[in-house]
Amino acid sequence: MSERSARLVRTLLLIFLGLWLLLTLFPLYWQFITAFKSAAETNRTIPTFWPEVWNFGNLTAVFADPSNFGALVDSFIIATGNTVASLVLGSLAGYAFARFPHQAGGENLAFWILSNRMFPPVAILVPMFFLFDAMPWGTDSYLSLIILYLVFNMPLATWLMMVFFRDAPRELEEAAYLDGYSPLRAFVKVTLPLVLPGMISVAMLCWIFAWNEYLFANLFVGTNVRTFTIVIPTFTLGSQTLWNLQMAFSLIAMVPPVALFILLRRYMVRGLSLGVVKG
Amino acid sequence: MARLQIEGLCKGWDFPVIDRLDLTVEEGEFFVVVGPSGIGKTTLLRLIAGLESPNAGRIVIGDLDITTLPPYQRPVAMTFESYALYPHLSVFENIASSLRAQRMDAAAIRTTVTEVAKLLRIEALLDRRPGEISGGQKQRTALGRTLVAKPQTFLLDEPISHLDAKIRHELRQQLRSLEELRQVATLYVTHDYAEALSLGDRIGVMGRGGLIQIGSARDVFMRPRTLFVAEHLGQPAINAVAARLADEGADMYVRAGNSGFGFPVVAAHAAMLAGGDRAQITVGIRPQHVKVLRNGEDAPGHHVIEGHVEIYEALGANGVVVTDAGGVNLTALTSLDRDFEHRQPVRLALQTDAVFYFDSETGSNLLL
Repeated sequence: MSERSARLVRTLLLIFLGLWLLLTLFPLYWQFITAFKSAAETNRTIPTFWPEVWNFGNLTAVFADPSNFGALVDSFIIATGNTVASLVLGSLAGYAFARFPHQAGGENLAFWILSNRMFPPVAILVPMFFLFDAMPWGTDSYLSLIILYLVFNMPLATWLMMVFFRDAPRELEEAAYLDGYSPLRAFVKVTLPLVLPGMISVAMLCWIFAWNEYLFANLFVGTNVRTFTIVIPTFTLGSQTLWNLQMAFSLIAMVPPVALFILLRRYMVRGLSLGVVKG
Repeated sequence: MARLQIEGLCKGWDFPVIDRLDLTVEEGEFFVVVGPSGIGKTTLLRLIAGLESPNAGRIVIGDLDITTLPPYQRPVAMTFESYALYPHLSVFENIASSLRAQRMDAAAIRTTVTEVAKLLRIEALLDRRPGEISGGQKQRTALGRTLVAKPQTFLLDEPISHLDAKIRHELRQQLRSLEELRQVATLYVTHDYAEALSLGDRIGVMGRGGLIQIGSARDVFMRPRTLFVAEHLGQPAINAVAARLADEGADMYVRAGNSGFGFPVVAAHAAMLAGGDRAQITVGIRPQHVKVLRNGEDAPGHHVIEGHVEIYEALGANGVVVTDAGGVNLTALTSLDRDFEHRQPVRLALQTDAVFYFDSETGSNLLL
C-alpha cells in the first residue's frame, strides 16, 4: 500500500514537473524557432512548429542598422552601472542594519526600504519622468536609468545583504579588531569574503532586472541612449510585425545573462543557500 | 611594564553586571577569573579588549590609559570562546593575521608563524582551513593567533573548556609552560574550578557584580570569604547545611536542621564564633572531610554520626555517597573499592576542624 502510494506521488510529481517544464520551456522554444523563420512563415494562420527553411541570416539582419549593436552596449552599461551602485549602497545599508540596527533606524526603516519594491512601478512613471527631466543629466542618459533602477534594485540589495551580514558572525570582525584591523580593514579582510557568494547572487538579480527593464526605458531614453528592450519593438514593416527579427534580436540579447549565469552559478547556489546552511 | 590595572569599572545594561570592579594583574602574572556561566566573566574581557565600553571606571595597561581607545589600538590579544577563526583563511593566514595588520614583511611573517606553530605543534596543519582541523587544533590555532601579536595583555576566554579531557590536560600543562605568557599580564576566564586552581598564580571568584574574592588558589580554596565562593570551588560541591549553635555544657555545639545531626565546635572556632547571632548559620563541610567508616573502624579526632546511604555514584578516581544524616543530606567522598546499597546504615566521621561557618543571610565566612 505504502509502496503504491509512494509510486503515485512520484508519478504525480513527474506529471507536474512535465507540465511546468512545458510552460516554461515552450516560450523559449517558440522564440528559438521563430528567430530562424522567414517573415512569411511567421504570419501563417496555421503556425509551423519547426522552420521550413532555417534563415540564419536573421541574426545578422537585425544589425542592418549598426546602432542596434550599440543598444546592447547601452543596456550593458546601464545594467552594470546600476548593479555596481546597488551593491555598494545596498551593502553599506545592509551592513548598518545588520550590525547597528538601533543607530540605523531599526526594523521600521529597513522595512520601509523593502516596501519601496512593493508598489506597482507604473504608479511612479509620470512623476519620475518629470523629476528626472529636471535633473542636469535629463532623462535620455545612462545616468538617469542607472539611478532610476536603484528604486527597484537597492531595496532588494539592501534587504538580502542585511540577511547575509547577519549570518556572518560578528565575533570574526571583533577578532580582526583585536588583531589590529580598523573597522574598514576588518570588513574587507573578514566579512566581505564571507558574504561574497551572496553578493554575487544579489549582483546577478540586480543585473538581470536592469538588463530586462522595458517600461521606464521606453519612456525615458531613445535618442542619445537606447536599450535593447526598446529596440526590439522597432522591427516592424509598415503594418507588419517582423516577429522573426524581434525573436532573433531577443535571442541575441539572452546570451549575456545566460553566459553570466553559467559562469557564476556556483556562487549563486551557494549564496542563495547561505542563510539556510551555515558554513 | 605591562601591568593591567582596572579601577572602579562599571558595566550594565538593564541591570548591573559589573559593579565597581578593581583589579591589578602584574606583569608575568597568570590571573584566572572563575565563576558560574552568565555572571559577566566574558563581559569583563570584552571591556578590557574594547569590544564593549564601560559605564564608568578606568583601564590602564602599563602607563597607557586605554579606557577610550578602540580595540584595534589596544595592546591586547584575546582568544574567543568560539575560537573565532576566519573560516575562509588557512591556519597560516589565521595566525599571521595580526602580523599582516602591522604590515610586517612576508619573510618575517613566515618565520614568526612557523615558530609559533612549532611551539603549539600545529606546523603540519598550516595549509588547512579551520573547517578541516579538530577542536584542539582550532584552539591552538586561536592561541597562536594571539601569541604572535606580542601584546602586553592576554585575554583568554574559556580557551580549553570545550575540549575533551585528554587534550585539556595537555593544553593546561602547555599553557603553564608558555614563556610568552610569563612576560605579560594574562587574564584567563573559566567556569571550571579545577582549571582555575591549577593554572592561576592568583584567582578571582566572580559573583554578582564583580570579584568576590581574590587570592592565591590555595588561599581562596582554604579560606573562602563567602558561601558562594566555597560552593563554587570543589567538585562535588561543599555540603551547605542550615544549622544553629547551642551551648551544651562547656562545649559549643552545632545542631543541623530541626532534628539533624550535631557535632561539637572545635575550640579554635568556638572562640571566633562566640558572641555572634547563632540561631541561624550555614555550616559548610567539604565532601572530602566526611569519611564513611568501615565496620569497626574508628577515626580519632573526628566526630562520628549515624546515617544511611541515599545515592552512590562511582566516578573515575573516587566514589560519591549521598547520605541522609538525621534528615539532612551529606555528601561524602570515598575510595573506589567500596560499594554501598540504598538505605544501608553507615557511620560518618566529620573532620570538625575543617568545617566552615557562614552567616545565613550575608553568606560571609564567620571564621575570617
